[in-house]
This record gives sequence, structure tokens and C-alpha cells, in this order.
Amino acid sequence: MAKIKLENVSFLYGKGTSYCKEALKNVNIEIKEGSITGLIGHTGSGKSTMLQLLNGLAKPAEGKVYLDGEDIWEKPKEIGKVRFRVGLVMQYPEYQLFEETVEKDIAFGPKNMGLSESEISERIREAIDFVGLSPDVLSKNPFDLSGGQKRRVAIAGVIAMRPEVLVLDEPAAGLDPQGRDIILGGVFKYREKTGATVIIVSHSMEDMARLCDNIIVLSHGEVVLNGTRDEVFAQSQMLEKIGLAVPQITLLMHELNARGIIVDNGIYTEEAAAAEIARLFGGAR
Amino acid sequence: MRSIALGQYYSVDSPIHRLDPRVKIVLAILYIVIVFLSANMLSMALILGSAFLLVALAHIPVKLVMKSVKPIVFIIAFTAIINIFWTSGEGDPLLDIGFAQIYKEGIVNAVFLMIRIFVLIIGSSILLTYTTTPISLTDGIERLLGPLKKIGLPVHDFAMIMTIALRFIPTLMEEADKIMSAQKARGADFTNGSLIQRAKALIPILIPLFSSSIRHALDLATAMECRCYRGGEGRTRMKILKCGTADIVAVISIVAFGAAVICLNVFFA
Repeated sequence: MAKIKLENVSFLYGKGTSYCKEALKNVNIEIKEGSITGLIGHTGSGKSTMLQLLNGLAKPAEGKVYLDGEDIWEKPKEIGKVRFRVGLVMQYPEYQLFEETVEKDIAFGPKNMGLSESEISERIREAIDFVGLSPDVLSKNPFDLSGGQKRRVAIAGVIAMRPEVLVLDEPAAGLDPQGRDIILGGVFKYREKTGATVIIVSHSMEDMARLCDNIIVLSHGEVVLNGTRDEVFAQSQMLEKIGLAVPQITLLMHELNARGIIVDNGIYTEEAAAAEIARLFGGAR
Repeated sequence: MRSIALGQYYSVDSPIHRLDPRVKIVLAILYIVIVFLSANMLSMALILGSAFLLVALAHIPVKLVMKSVKPIVFIIAFTAIINIFWTSGEGDPLLDIGFAQIYKEGIVNAVFLMIRIFVLIIGSSILLTYTTTPISLTDGIERLLGPLKKIGLPVHDFAMIMTIALRFIPTLMEEADKIMSAQKARGADFTNGSLIQRAKALIPILIPLFSSSIRHALDLATAMECRCYRGGEGRTRMKILKCGTADIVAVISIVAFGAAVICLNVFFA
């Protein structure tokens, strides 16, 4: 069964004013339990809005959002519980840190869940381990950390709630390659260990290709492509038409094919491409 | 949060929009004085008519103007009622209910007051907030207060502070909105609990908001320094304010309007 299902979902900004804008139009998607789904689309395509619909921060103007087959808005008073089950890491989450120590900040979510002290401290330790921080940062002031470390603390703050669905809005934006690898690696580890469903927004097609099982492409508030990674990246012309790209290495493979050198089109990593080209030379010899 | 209107500037092209902001500030002050000068039926009718004329000249939808009057309807009604009971006149009261008497003068006073406040709000918002962007408004204020520089008041700095504050209202609102969403996603609850609990629930919003305002201020200071900002000394302007024929016509009209109100007061007392 689908972990999350959006059915005919539409969302409007500024309803009833002259600035009214339809951010999402009739969206239908299903997200499989335990999968990693990538959400791509250019700025203003409705990605962030869609993420806020998943945990009930935004309420759809029309349509239903299902979590484990239950409509999340059936009991509006209990929407808080949905937010603990669907953990959302917003864009640039480092700007939401507020406590005196890293430990207290990560504890904010679990405390709101009403967990016991011992449970909370166990979860904090587990969470910072996922994001690759050492336990001695716990007593530090979050405002003394570097940008990348702050980002990891903020992500740990959501992971500490042990959400069944982890939703991340551009978690690696503005980080150096090492910081990006630590965060994306941590997310992958969290999925492996807990079996959680992950939904991730990114502008890096390379990251998407490496990480995701499924990919959803949004353009002007509509789902234009929705399928497995292979299916979506096979549509390179469609992606380019809406101003997105396939990973560079995949583009190279497509170009080679267009020039009559027959290689596998479904290649997303440098390693696979190197192997494919080596095979080509091996065959030619 | 998104629905809060920021300033009321209504972007259309109209004779009033095109007026010089300095002239508009002066006109608004004169208009307010004239509104309070009016004292009888005829001059009241004249200022009421002038308010409608202003709305029409500024091409602002009547619906929008009414919406901005709505929040003060209660205050207008309250002052009117107080006036009805507190004014005593000559002759017999129209109504005597023991502890309070209502006189004819009371009702007339209340109606006049209602018209005055109503016209005051419409007139000043049409002349200023609806038709002038906040930036050109501060620009106008800076130029009008220019002479005070001679006695050592840092007029330019005040104007710059105002401009920057106005510029950052939408930015900070957007930021507050984001931080609120982020804390809600971690289970923060701003709507339930006792007053103290709710006040405490604001801490996770206020601290990040303060820290980001300070960050913005430092970034902006650096950016301004990089572009060689050194205060108002010797600074030229991109938009040079110029008084044209329309501005002169506007000033003449308001003077004529004021004269008309005074004449009506004197000759039809």
C-alpha cells in the first residue's frame, strides 16, 4: 500500500485576494513505503508547497492527502500527530535553531511529543550519529557552529522524532561537496536502519540519480513526469523542455547514442559510464 | 500571514499618483486643517463631496476605500454616541431618559464629527498611502525636513532608517512565516494552552527572527559600504523630485477649497 497518497490535490495562495495563485493543480501521486522519492522542478513549480501538504502545514484547497490510507485532515485537531509521523526539514533549516545548546535544540521535537527524558537523550545521541556529528557538540551553543554543522543539527532535530516519513527540502543547498555527502549519506543511513520513507527535493540531478528510487517532476504546479529513476531520466528531451536537465553523464550517453555509438542510455554515475565505455572498447578490439 | 496588506499603495496611473510626494504631504496637512475648519451643513456637504472627488481622481476602487474605513467604523460610532449624550444645547431636550438628555445640537454635532473623521481618513489615505509608495513618501519627508539640517538634525539618516525599515517588513514577515512553519513541523503549538504557555511558545520564533534580523542588518551594512555609502553628504538622486504644472494646479485647488469652506462658514453661519 502507498505510504502517502495525494488525490486530486490543488492548492491556492492568497485565496480571495487579487494575488490569488494556483500553486498546485490536480496532483495525483502515490509514494511507496520505504522508497526514496526525489522531487524536482524549477523555482516556483510548487515543490515546497507540496512538501507542506504532506505533513499538514498547508491544507489542500481541494483533494485529499492520505497517510497509511487515512485522510490526514479527517480530524483537524490531531494534525499535530501527523507532523510527528511526517518529519519535514525545511529549506535552510539552520535558521530555525533557537536553544542555548545543541542538545536542547534537538530535544525540542521529541519533548513536544511528550517522550520521557531517557528516551529523548537516547534519540538525541542516535540522531547526531546519523548526521555525522560527535557527541561533544551537544553542549555547545548552536550559534557557535559552522553553517554546515548548524544544518546537520537542524536535520538531527527532525530525525530525533523518528518520523516514518522524512521529507527534506533541498537539504544540501549551499554546502560544500563533503557537507553534502555527509547529509545525504545520513539520510540514506536513516532509511536503511528504520525503513522510513524518504522524500527529497534537490536541484542536483547527480544527487537525485545516486539516491532516489523514484522521481516526480513538477512544472507550474502540475506533475509532468512520475516514475522510476530510469523512466524519468529516459525523458531527457521532456526534462530539457521544462528547463531541467538529466545528469551530465547521462546526457553524454544520450549524445553518444545520437551520434551512432550505441551505449546504454540508462546510466547515471561516472563508474557505470566508465564501465560502459570500457565495454565498448573491449568489443571493438 | 500572507494576507496582511503591506502598506496600502495601490498601483495605477492617476493625476494624484503623479503628484510630487512633497506636494502631497503638504496637501494632506492642509486638507486635514480644512476638514476641521468646516462648521455648518453646507461646508460639511462640500468636504464630503471633496472626499468622493479625491477617490474618483485617484482611480481607487470605492470597495477598497470602504474596506480601509471598516476597522474604524467602531471608533467613529463610539465617539458619535458619546457626543450625542455629552452635548447640551438651548431649549428643551429631544429625549429625556433621566440620567441623560439628548439635544438637537448633540445629534448635529455627532453627525458632523462622523463626517469629519470619515473624510479625514479617506482624504489622507487617498493623498498619501494609496497613491504614494512608501519609498517616495520618505523621500518627500526627507526633502520637506531638509531645512532642519541647518540646525544639525540628521534628516537624511532618519529617512534612510525609515526606508530600510519599510523595505524589511515584507522580508521579516516572510521569515517569521517560515520559522513558524519549521517549528510547527517539530510539534510547536501556538494556539493552545494558557497565556503564559503561549507566550513561551513564541520564544522558538523570536530568537531565530532576532538573529536573522541582525544577520540582515550586518549584511546590508557591508553591502552598502561596498557601494561606498557615506551618508547623505553630496549624495545625488536617481529620481529627482520636480514640481510641475499639475502640482501647482493641486496647490491652487486646495487653497480655493479652503477659501470656499471658510466663506460657507462665514456667510451661512
